[in-house]
Amino acid sequence: MSEPVETTRRGPRPGWDALARAALRRESQEDTALRREFVTFHLDGDSYALPIEAVREIVRLRPITPVPRVPAPIRGVISLRGEVVQVLDLRLRLGLPREEPTRATRVMVLHGDDGGVTGLLVDSVRDVLRIPEEQMRSDSGGDHEAVAALLVRGNEFVSLLDIDRVLDLEA
Amino acid sequence: MTARRKTTKRRTKAYREFVSEAEEILERMRDDLSDLADRRGQGADVDPELVNRLFRSAHSLKGLSGMFGLDGVSELSHHLEDVLDGLRMGRTAVDERALGLLDESVALVAQTLEKLEEGEGAGLDEQAAELIARIDGWARAPKAEAAGEGELDLEPAMQRALTEYEEHRLRENVRRGRRIVVVEANFDILSFEEGLAELTAAVREVGEVLSTLPSPGETPEAQIRFSLLVATDFPPEGLAARLELAGGAVRPASRSAAAAAAARSEPAPGAADATAPAEAEAAPRPRAEELDAEAEPAGEADSLAGGDLASLKSISETVRVDIRKLDELMNLVGELVIQRSAIAKLARQLRQDAATARLGAELEKIHKGLERKLQELQAGVLEVRMVPLRQVFEKLSRVVRRLRRDTDKEVRLEIRGADTELDKLIVEELVDPLMHVVRNAFDHAIETAEERLAAGKPREGSIRLEAYQRGNDVVIEATDDGRGIDAEAVHRRAIERGVVDAGNHLSRREILDLVFAPGLSTRDEVTETSGRGVGMDVVRANITALGGVVDVASEPGRGTTVTMTLPITLAIIQALIVGVAGERFAIPLNSVRETLLVDPAEVQRSDGRELLNLRGEALPLRRLASEFSLGEALREQKQYAVVLGIGDARLGLLVDRLEGQQDVVIKPIQGPIRSVRGIAGATEVGDSGAVLVLDVSALVEDSRSREAREAPARRAP
Amino acid sequence: MERAAPEGPGQEASVQSILVVEDSATMRSLIASTLEELGPGVKITEASSGFEALRLLPRGAFHLIVTDINMPDINGLELVSFVKKNPAYAAIPLIIVSTESSERDREKGIGLGADAYLVKPFEPEDLRGLARDLLHAREEA
Repeated sequence: MSEPVETTRRGPRPGWDALARAALRRESQEDTALRREFVTFHLDGDSYALPIEAVREIVRLRPITPVPRVPAPIRGVISLRGEVVQVLDLRLRLGLPREEPTRATRVMVLHGDDGGVTGLLVDSVRDVLRIPEEQMRSDSGGDHEAVAALLVRGNEFVSLLDIDRVLDLEA
Repeated sequence: MTARRKTTKRRTKAYREFVSEAEEILERMRDDLSDLADRRGQGADVDPELVNRLFRSAHSLKGLSGMFGLDGVSELSHHLEDVLDGLRMGRTAVDERALGLLDESVALVAQTLEKLEEGEGAGLDEQAAELIARIDGWARAPKAEAAGEGELDLEPAMQRALTEYEEHRLRENVRRGRRIVVVEANFDILSFEEGLAELTAAVREVGEVLSTLPSPGETPEAQIRFSLLVATDFPPEGLAARLELAGGAVRPASRSAAAAAAARSEPAPGAADATAPAEAEAAPRPRAEELDAEAEPAGEADSLAGGDLASLKSISETVRVDIRKLDELMNLVGELVIQRSAIAKLARQLRQDAATARLGAELEKIHKGLERKLQELQAGVLEVRMVPLRQVFEKLSRVVRRLRRDTDKEVRLEIRGADTELDKLIVEELVDPLMHVVRNAFDHAIETAEERLAAGKPREGSIRLEAYQRGNDVVIEATDDGRGIDAEAVHRRAIERGVVDAGNHLSRREILDLVFAPGLSTRDEVTETSGRGVGMDVVRANITALGGVVDVASEPGRGTTVTMTLPITLAIIQALIVGVAGERFAIPLNSVRETLLVDPAEVQRSDGRELLNLRGEALPLRRLASEFSLGEALREQKQYAVVLGIGDARLGLLVDRLEGQQDVVIKPIQGPIRSVRGIAGATEVGDSGAVLVLDVSALVEDSRSREAREAPARRAP
Repeated sequence: MERAAPEGPGQEASVQSILVVEDSATMRSLIASTLEELGPGVKITEASSGFEALRLLPRGAFHLIVTDINMPDINGLELVSFVKKNPAYAAIPLIIVSTESSERDREKGIGLGADAYLVKPFEPEDLRGLARDLLHAREEA
């Protein structure tokens, strides 16, 4: 065991600026680190994905009660085992034409940051995709500002959605 | 106090984190200092935990500011820390001077931080130096005797891990003759925090936790053992029983303490070991109420005076409950109620068919019994959620006391009806709006002492907070005897700001109500004239969100009263189900005064409004279809008018169908849209999905403000 | 719970895992950043309280612990006591960080088995130096 070392300092500390910058760097690195499992689904023939931790469950379509005074993409609310949850029509949100639901239509129930829950209406749900980080490309100048990145699957591109953007209806 | 003006530093994330944390620390210190002052003022004992918390705050502040090169702040924090260390270690007493110095120091540090943020640095050096000199002067003055050093005969493991402060608290408690015991328990390593928190809280009810020492548990990979060093008046076996731990879990902390206890106890000849009488009494899990029976025979009544026992007993009868569990319970009861409704319906259907009529009658009888029991259950759960307003009122008292100290204004706060109870969630939401109202009264309504004397009023102004129950509501009134609201000035301002048209004639009541209009009360200049200042629009929004209403009445020169009416509880309500344009809605029944079938011919149109003559009074009408843009209603058809009433205001809501009454649980609507005006939540009715519940007070409010806005000039009556 | 020893003498261990225990977020962030500069193989785990540290210890396989003394639930001394009493963690080197005024507490920390202490405010390089020394000493042991 080495001798206890004591250090006391008063006076100029040149190292802290660098430190503070380093702390800043750490933060931004953590932000862009993306998870590796995604739930993929279809909208208007195209493939999309969401991180698996964000999806609480996937349910069949059930009667939607319309709610007045909300933006158009919010179709209304559904009752989910005692909870009342808003349903966002992802087609409308992404500017795609509205379609009648089919037997394959599903509602993806998402976790919110604050514990709140939202339902996302999609044409159909496909599967869970696992890909290594290298195959994720950040989307620059893509179709929609809600697309955070592109995942590669075979010779297909899957658009990874940015949930916060999708749910931000004030924009 | 020189501060380095490195602008790059100011913008880095780490620096911003520091500022944010520093502000939190200062805020906490201000609150704690205020509490400390209040308790002293009330003659209560100084809470050592409070002083320790203040010390730790100053300590953190010193460390942090030092790391960022803010030597001045660090220096001042260092002196703050010294003062607080002296206080917590019992070297000095908490007196006026100490409190004053602490207040000033905290204020100066806050000021310095602010100036640094704004890019200024100079100007406070002198003040700081002067304050530091005064602190040193106070520190040098002759002090109270320090508690004696004395031998602390603890188990070595515990002794070595005690910080200086913990040692001090230990000595303090020994000096006061309290028992020092060790309470031990094993916990699962993944979930120990909850269990430990419960144990600590239970111990705190009857003693002081001096130290918490972790050690490897029975199975080190999966368990952790915690040894709490506790100062208490309970005997070890009594404490063990109370905490529901096995007998061996609580033991005297040291042999000298055990011997001292034995010596104090009755003639147990030669019983040098206090554990002997303990074994004789340790019945299997004696309950809390039998504690007095235990204490007497051991002759340890000296440490448990009769009065203490009585109050201890009442503590053991209360249980702390997580409000979320109450919500779950409430939800369950709500679901049960809905199921019960379904059973009732089924029973009725069975009765209608001859083949099943007898079964139906049986089912109905059972259902009646179920209904009664459910009502009791519902009432019971609701009662558990109810809390008295006392805590909120006490917090407001503290705020007023602080304001009094800060401004030198003489104002007295009277409280009545603190025992009035409301749903816990509502009470929590009430704190902000009540604070606003009281602050406004203090700042703007109450005149200065000179003005009051000149007006023939007593020198001291008064604000009275009164709460009482009225039917299904709770009413809270805030009354001051200040200058009252100048209606003329308010009206003038409202016109100036475009809130109302110049041509409108408004009754005095309507003018006073303007105080709540957004756009009017957000300017400071209005405060002089209105007697109520910033934020009344927010207050109204908050109260409306809780399903209540707020009104104001005032007499110039005499005073003002703000009245808040709130529903007692939000959880389960009776609702009227109505149908409009193919959709269903639920309307809380306690806001429904009556329902009427309306012939279109009876509807009077006047100035763009629709009215109904209801027993001589003009009832404003509103079509729910129009309100929610649900498609054009056919005006020729007969419709039902649901007469809504909140306070004195009335509104007739026109709907297509009335579909019956039902108990419903209002649930929050989850999702990206935070709130919808006019919708209070949703519920389930039958199998067909969610049904929206109307927010009656919002609808009535909107109707009132629409009236004031849209009506063109009307002739004076 | 020990990680695999490095391949051979003179070779860097692949990952150095450090546990930082400190209740002030700002301070914690700064200490973590300082230690990260030790090199690419360094992995920092942060605990905002003594309790969190207790929970993280079994999972972490740490090579170094840096802890504050002045913390709300269990203080740094109690944490040191726990670590040194537990055969699974007793060998992990431990640095205490404290302010100037708590000299007696510092001494107790060393008495309980801490390997070094630093007084706030300290130079980043001092923390790194200490950490480097203790990490290397352990490897060679």
